[in-house]
Amino acid sequence: MAPRDNPLEIIANPRHIAIFGASNSESAMGTGILRAILDFGFPGPVYPVHPREETVLELKAYPEVATIPEAADLAFIVLPTRIVAETLDACGRRGIRRAVIVSAGFNEVGGDGGTRQSELIEVAGRHGIRFIGPNCIGVFNARARLNATYMPFEGRPGYIGIASQSGSFLTQMFGYLEKRFGQSFSTGFSLGNEADIDLVDCLAYLGEDPQTRVIGLYIESIRRGRLFIETARAVARRKPIVAYYAGGSETGRRACLSHTGALAGPDRLYDGVLRQSGILRARSIPELFDFCQVLGGVPPANGSRAIIQTHSGGPGAAAADACGRGGIELPRLCPETLAKLAPFVAHTASCNNPIDLTFSKNPLDYFHAIPKILLEDPAADGLIVYVLAYARMVERGLAGLGVPPDQIPEQTRQVIADQCRALASLGPAFQKPVIGFSFLTRENPFVAGLQDLGMPVLAGPERAAAAFGALAQYRRLREKLLGAADADARPQEN
Amino acid sequence: MNLIQKALAQGHHTLNEFASKQFLAAYGIPVSREALVRTEAEAVAAAERIGYPVALKACSARLPHKSEAGAVALHLEGPEAVRREMGRVARAVHVPLDGFLIQEMVAGQRELVAGLSRDPQFGPCVMLGLGGVMAEVFRDTAFRVAPFDRAEALDMIGELRSRALLGAFRGQAPADPQVLVRILLALGRIGLENDRIAEIDINPIIVTPSGAATAVDALIVLQEK
Repeated sequence: MAPRDNPLEIIANPRHIAIFGASNSESAMGTGILRAILDFGFPGPVYPVHPREETVLELKAYPEVATIPEAADLAFIVLPTRIVAETLDACGRRGIRRAVIVSAGFNEVGGDGGTRQSELIEVAGRHGIRFIGPNCIGVFNARARLNATYMPFEGRPGYIGIASQSGSFLTQMFGYLEKRFGQSFSTGFSLGNEADIDLVDCLAYLGEDPQTRVIGLYIESIRRGRLFIETARAVARRKPIVAYYAGGSETGRRACLSHTGALAGPDRLYDGVLRQSGILRARSIPELFDFCQVLGGVPPANGSRAIIQTHSGGPGAAAADACGRGGIELPRLCPETLAKLAPFVAHTASCNNPIDLTFSKNPLDYFHAIPKILLEDPAADGLIVYVLAYARMVERGLAGLGVPPDQIPEQTRQVIADQCRALASLGPAFQKPVIGFSFLTRENPFVAGLQDLGMPVLAGPERAAAAFGALAQYRRLREKLLGAADADARPQEN
Repeated sequence: MNLIQKALAQGHHTLNEFASKQFLAAYGIPVSREALVRTEAEAVAAAERIGYPVALKACSARLPHKSEAGAVALHLEGPEAVRREMGRVARAVHVPLDGFLIQEMVAGQRELVAGLSRDPQFGPCVMLGLGGVMAEVFRDTAFRVAPFDRAEALDMIGELRSRALLGAFRGQAPADPQVLVRILLALGRIGLENDRIAEIDINPIIVTPSGAATAVDALIVLQEK
């Protein structure tokens, strides 16, 4: 589907917005969404519609949608359930053709909820309105400065596009990605009950979105099955897709039914569907975002052979164990590599893979000279690096070199920045994946420095190994899809 | 009138084993050599033609679970055994029979199951799994949504945890992947082309020591529109 024809094109890039349900009461959900829209600096006009207020959050308010100055590109409806359909109808009469319906109380509650949802579909159909929801939490587009999601967004624009059947895995991940990984979303959609726009539309849109380098999906149920598979297969040839599926167990299935009214399918069927779709399946929510940041952030792996670099035995062995379980080979270094390494390593070091340096003759070699030699080895499809270094070590080193105390803080910052730049530049230079792992957080300047330069530093050895495995698996999935595309292009057999 | 229309016209909700396998064979699925017989003389003649040892099974659209009903006799080595077991099965089974199946005994220790089901969101889904007595313990299955291509079918085989069983295994040749692929693609095509078929269960497919694969028992379940 061409992006222009996708209903999400306007929803993600509206020129102007009408919002229903925002007031001057800060506790109202609608107010929270309006606040988020304003705080993130949406550049276009926003028209609050409110029956009594003259102004809402210092914006001029309009008593009804008929009186707003122009047919807004997008309406946000955050109203009590019983007046949602009539509001949508009024929007249609005003010429509005896109909506996000945040209000709940439809299919997901059972009983009359289904009838109310059918009514929304009927009203929308009559006016040619395409909408997200109901029972969703909104839309995010970093480049368009659109954060219509209730939660504040304080990060930089990212490259992960997400479509989620739970609003939480959009909004509540803002802080998770930012605070732990210095990551964020390019674009995100919370889909709710999918009465109209669904995962398939999102896949098609995010597949074409130039800001999105990898697509994450949180799935409780896939509704248009065949089209989902076809769309994903087309997208996954050029952009990785990672999914977490919550409906596979009996307990998960029941939770999904009451959450979004979704009818989930058996786990093994979804295993097959995702694999057939060229989608990687993540087994946990942290894994979903680990895989997304790595697949979108590093060059593709040409195979499944990794070198592990560490200066601590335990973390290296744990990474090696996780690699072995995940089908990642740890090749021996070739003789040329060993010869090149010799001047840099202590006699206590082990140059089997993992490369355990124990301690470094010059600690700075750990960030450039050594990983560069390892990446030059033709047996390495990529590198997994343990990250453990402190500003304090650099300060002590500088003091030992006789640097005057008043210059140490500035020089420490400089050294750390240089080291991070040296290591983070290697992956792109060699076009091989380099994945860091650490037990430290972004409070550590090396972890934050590497992450801010685009090198993923994950929270533990097994997570780095799993992400490396995801790179190898994406390569296999993509080759399968491209092989099928070649076969499609050839005349049919038999 | 085709097999499905005929069964529905007679008020049946399943095809009997013989008809099920004829239907599958028409789509290129390899099935065991067999004959549907009514009399002892026909049974013995069929057994001679197929070659001993043979299997004998009661054949009826009303008998989806044959073993439990005592309607199966295996490894029959000669005409006496065929006559004796035919009598025993006839007494054990209390539903109207379409006849008796005389069937080759397919040798092989490696058993698979394959099937077709319909999912409300995805339509016809093809399943491949580990068969045999341990199937329900290991629950090793892989699914694909029809239509899918050769590469997907191969990937499906590779998805089984017990795929090592299909390689060179204890002196037996690797299972011929092309035959398995053909079975899986055929099941997908059947699902797309026959909306009256609700379900197919091929159990077992026996992989022989030489690596060939043969459907030894099969059941097609029908649905009203």
